[in-house]
Amino acid sequence: MAEDVQVQSDVTITGSAKSRTLHLKTLRKQWQIITLQIIATAALVGMYLEVVSTYVVGTIDHTILFSSIESLIGSDLPLGNWFTGQGRTGLARFFVPLAIGLVVGGLMALVAYQTPKTQQRLKLGFIITLITLLVGRLILGWLTGMIFSFDIRFPDDGELQTLEWPLLMIMSLLIMFVYLLPIIMGSRGIWGLSKKSIAWAIGFTLLFLGIHAILTFPLIKSQLGDYGGALATLESQISQPTIGLFGIKLVTSEQFGLILIAVLILVFQESAFGVIKYLEYAFRLPESCKRDPEYVNQMDNMLNTHLMHTFGFLGLTGIATMVALGFHSVLLSLVSDTTGSQWAGQVSESIELSLTYGLVISAVMFLSFMALLRYLIPWQRIWGFTYSLRNNNPSENEKPEKEFIEF
Amino acid sequence: MWTRKAAFTFTGGIALILIGMMISNNQMMILGLALIAFIVVNSWISGHGDVEVQRTLSADNLYKGDDLYVELLITNRSNRKTQLLEVYDNIPHEMKLRSGLNQMRLNLSPGESARIRYVLRCPLRGHYSIGPVSLRSRNTFNLGVEEMFVDHHSDIVIFPQIKEVEEAFLRSRTPKMYTGATTLRTPGQGSEFYSLREYVPGDPFKNINWKAYARTGELMVNEKCRDAVTDLYLLIDSRDIARIGTVLKNPLEMSTVSAASLAAFFLKRRDSVALGIYGEKLSYLPPDTGDKQYFKILSALAGVSAKGEMPLQAVTNSLSGRFSRGSPVFVISSCEGDGTVPAAVRDLVGRGHEVTVLSPSSIDFERLVSRIPRMSYEVLKLERQNRLTTLAGSGAQVIDWMPDMDLSQALMQVRGY
Repeated sequence: MAEDVQVQSDVTITGSAKSRTLHLKTLRKQWQIITLQIIATAALVGMYLEVVSTYVVGTIDHTILFSSIESLIGSDLPLGNWFTGQGRTGLARFFVPLAIGLVVGGLMALVAYQTPKTQQRLKLGFIITLITLLVGRLILGWLTGMIFSFDIRFPDDGELQTLEWPLLMIMSLLIMFVYLLPIIMGSRGIWGLSKKSIAWAIGFTLLFLGIHAILTFPLIKSQLGDYGGALATLESQISQPTIGLFGIKLVTSEQFGLILIAVLILVFQESAFGVIKYLEYAFRLPESCKRDPEYVNQMDNMLNTHLMHTFGFLGLTGIATMVALGFHSVLLSLVSDTTGSQWAGQVSESIELSLTYGLVISAVMFLSFMALLRYLIPWQRIWGFTYSLRNNNPSENEKPEKEFIEF
Repeated sequence: MWTRKAAFTFTGGIALILIGMMISNNQMMILGLALIAFIVVNSWISGHGDVEVQRTLSADNLYKGDDLYVELLITNRSNRKTQLLEVYDNIPHEMKLRSGLNQMRLNLSPGESARIRYVLRCPLRGHYSIGPVSLRSRNTFNLGVEEMFVDHHSDIVIFPQIKEVEEAFLRSRTPKMYTGATTLRTPGQGSEFYSLREYVPGDPFKNINWKAYARTGELMVNEKCRDAVTDLYLLIDSRDIARIGTVLKNPLEMSTVSAASLAAFFLKRRDSVALGIYGEKLSYLPPDTGDKQYFKILSALAGVSAKGEMPLQAVTNSLSGRFSRGSPVFVISSCEGDGTVPAAVRDLVGRGHEVTVLSPSSIDFERLVSRIPRMSYEVLKLERQNRLTTLAGSGAQVIDWMPDMDLSQALMQVRGY
């Protein structure tokens, strides 16, 4: 439809109307869109760092894999230590790869904006470079050898050894790519506006978490022997809560990390998909609507609301999850204090009851109660009331910015 | 109502909690709880469609093919934000968007308004209604959706197109002298002197006022007053058969266009025009003059649809008694599937009316939508020709109107018969 409709010639804008439009070129530079993209990128990086620091660093990170390979082949891998993070400790091993991953994702996003012809050329150039890197030295050395010796023969061992470096290089790059997949695909998705890439980033992270969860299940872990022992197991169940709200300790620091991962996944998902959703809508509008200040204003409203809700509701989601997780201890102390029964004490001592079933049941109870608040508390009126308090006279806000010629 | 995304999130959350419990994995449980918490927190706020809608149209009546400018003003009269609200103005499917868009996504603050402007092209005549306004509110993260509508309608009448008709070739054989005569002080063909004017090439020499020429030295011609008012009767065939062809090009559409154009022409000349439409039933508008009659005729023509099998003879039997003596009668019909047409025309001619049959060629309209073998086409065409010749033989002026022929061009044929 967008292509069929011409500029709406009947609409004449005069006065102090803003000349902003909803063309993608303009919209992509709008501060709300850029802020949402930055939030998504920050959430992606935060989520990635939180996941690797919880599950990967020191147990199954890439530097350990590289060291194993190096000891297996008896030589260093072509990728420098500055690149891989070998030799560093803790999360620092991931800083440079992370930055490189973001750059690669950004470059992929940049390529996505080029014309199909340029994209094709870039892909062709990449493939040719890869082939040259892989077999270039071998072919050059082998052909030169044959020319100088006037002999047709198979490549000798010395010549075949020239394949080792490129193969190891490509293998190292592939390993890095797998480790950095969420970052590369995520940044490509955010800045290149690709839903598929964002889905890849989230999917890969969830897949990793799932596989890790299955592998760390005691029955399976015991079957894995030494390899299973290398996997990080979360010990959050038996530690005491240290993080809370208003002086009430609700969750352990490990649990907080896990909540952070969950909330950051949501922030990343909603911000990244939100940007694409709004840009898609703007793209589909006909030319006349893209220039119409009404549509521009409403787009501003929607983006501002999205930004506010990203902070407000996703923050509340994190807090609600924290309270839900700590709710069992609140319930148990309540029962213990009010009834003085031994049951509460017994339950609180039972790890199974208080930290698995009890925890989940009490958390779900809390969330159900929260859901019921929707009907008990007139949130809509409260929002409306707070809004009207902030804007005492809404009519004053309606600035007559534009005038239209009447039909 | 939950969206698919909300349902998936909720199911995913429950599944993760259960699996997490099964394999004692905190991450899964927490992820599941976070997903449920996400839904719960978002359920606290939802959009609403408590808005006031006001639609302004550029006109209530339009001619077929004209553009209609629509402005929809949406105002949030409540004291809270609407959240993401999709507004969709329902337009008749016969109308096409020419510019702008009949929908908008908005988020209105209390008291805030937004305007949707769009232009519709109206390619088909008829009575239409724009509305209701459909609303769909969602929350920011698309977890809840609610659909509603504002029952606000705007009615519009699309009149048939008016084509230019050249100077009249029709005049009453018996000028009206007494009944409903209107004093005409307009130049035209008549006997009474109206004024002198300068000669322009093409004026007949017999009209030159030689005395005035002698006096002024410039060629002057006498202009006459139009004689009297003529009653013109238009009979339109809206039987089911008149729908042959495409939606835009069919005998009925051409009939309405010609009737509207003729009515416009004669009413402008201050003649009286009557309209009879027959199909499923006969509707008759008695002769009258003026803008009101013009509006009545156009409104009647706008609502014509192809239905029924009423023969022309039944119409003439019922109406001929009301026709003024010697008045011209225009029968606009394809003359297909009605064996009574020759008899009816003969009857009208016999009563002293000057009958003109304007006949859209239905065979050629049928050719627009289906392939007719050449031989069959020729035979059908010959049959039609015979039918029209019979009508011409009855004393009527017959016009064979081809689909690609302009109305004024078609009317020129009258002299050929």
